[in-house]
Amino acid sequence: MDSDELIARLARDAKPVRRLAPPWQGALAWLALAALFMAGVVAVAGLRHDLGARLGLMTEQLNLAFAAATAVLAALGAFHLARPDGDARWAWAPVAPALGWLAGMGAGCLGEIWRGGLAMGTSFECARFILGFGVPLTLSMLWMVRHAALTRPVEVAALAGLAASALAAVGLALVHHLDAAAMVLVWHGGSVVLSVWVARRWGARALAAMGPKLPSV
Amino acid sequence: MLASAFDGMDMAAEQPATDARDARWAAWMVAVQAGDNQAYDRLLRDCLPQIRAVVRARVRNAADAEDAVQDTLLTLHALRHTYDPQRPFKPWLNAIAERRAIDRLRRLSKHSRRESALDDAPEQGTPAVGSARLEAAELRAAVAELPESQRTALRLAKLEERPLKEAAQISGLSVGALKVATHRAVAALRAKLGGRDGQR
Repeated sequence: MDSDELIARLARDAKPVRRLAPPWQGALAWLALAALFMAGVVAVAGLRHDLGARLGLMTEQLNLAFAAATAVLAALGAFHLARPDGDARWAWAPVAPALGWLAGMGAGCLGEIWRGGLAMGTSFECARFILGFGVPLTLSMLWMVRHAALTRPVEVAALAGLAASALAAVGLALVHHLDAAAMVLVWHGGSVVLSVWVARRWGARALAAMGPKLPSV
Repeated sequence: MLASAFDGMDMAAEQPATDARDARWAAWMVAVQAGDNQAYDRLLRDCLPQIRAVVRARVRNAADAEDAVQDTLLTLHALRHTYDPQRPFKPWLNAIAERRAIDRLRRLSKHSRRESALDDAPEQGTPAVGSARLEAAELRAAVAELPESQRTALRLAKLEERPLKEAAQISGLSVGALKVATHRAVAALRAKLGGRDGQR
């Protein structure tokens, strides 16, 4: 079939379509969904008993703010990049707060060493929480940006994974008692890195399964 | 607040379209999103040279480039709901065309890697070697079906070319019986293999 004939066929099939909402609206809708999900988890698990004291600490406030900013900017970035003409620089949007977050966790480790040694152990509960919370949130975002399947699936999927897992880490800080900085770095940071890697590796396939297919003409 | 800080990155892209052609395309696209068939036909025909220019800057081969152009048209159709009329049309169109051109190049490079891998693969035997192997297998199967005495006689008298007396001693048969067994074995093989041995 030549291109003229293809154009004639596509034009015949021009059904009305609902225009996509602006990226900020998409991100806001997803964040609202995530907040609802997190509220449900908090309702079931209960807030950590020393939350008030922890939130009084400057370092804790900074870490939470950086994690939340990482989540918000990664979500905005994913919704912007999912459009064919989205600015490619949005992929870098969450990098600065993510580095700030990482630096905060690293500084906590240095403080522990200074005070007399790192407390290290396993906390599979953290990984389970971040992955258990992050996977459905990632999938829900991939569904909302499924049109990216035909343009930038890998970058969008990685940003979705980062947004979801960073938000999960914020949620985890509200319910789970874990103060040892090295453990936070390894188990929170590690789970976030794992989530982004998984999303980057398989997210494009998930998007392709959910996203629009090229019409057969 | 954070969002507005990053929205600044798109300032250039969000400038209202000044180019008359872009404005025309954007207006048609708005009509297309509302389901206007005629506007769609006009839009696609009008922007076809632009799609071709973007694709041909990357894909040299004319036939491959035209495939990428058609992929672009199909993608544009599938993603027509993602166009925002507040933004210029051309960057949206170019981004889709570039993506499909890159995909086409990737596919072509994968295909050529597969072909060169096949070219470099060692030969798995010529047809002549293959048919010789087949005949040898048939011969082995035919020999295996012979009675034990005939198989032994054939091996000693024909393959190992031993003198009759020695072959008779090894097999425990008389010289006469060995001769008969050998003769029957050859006759049986000739009958089974259609006399091909004799023709060679």
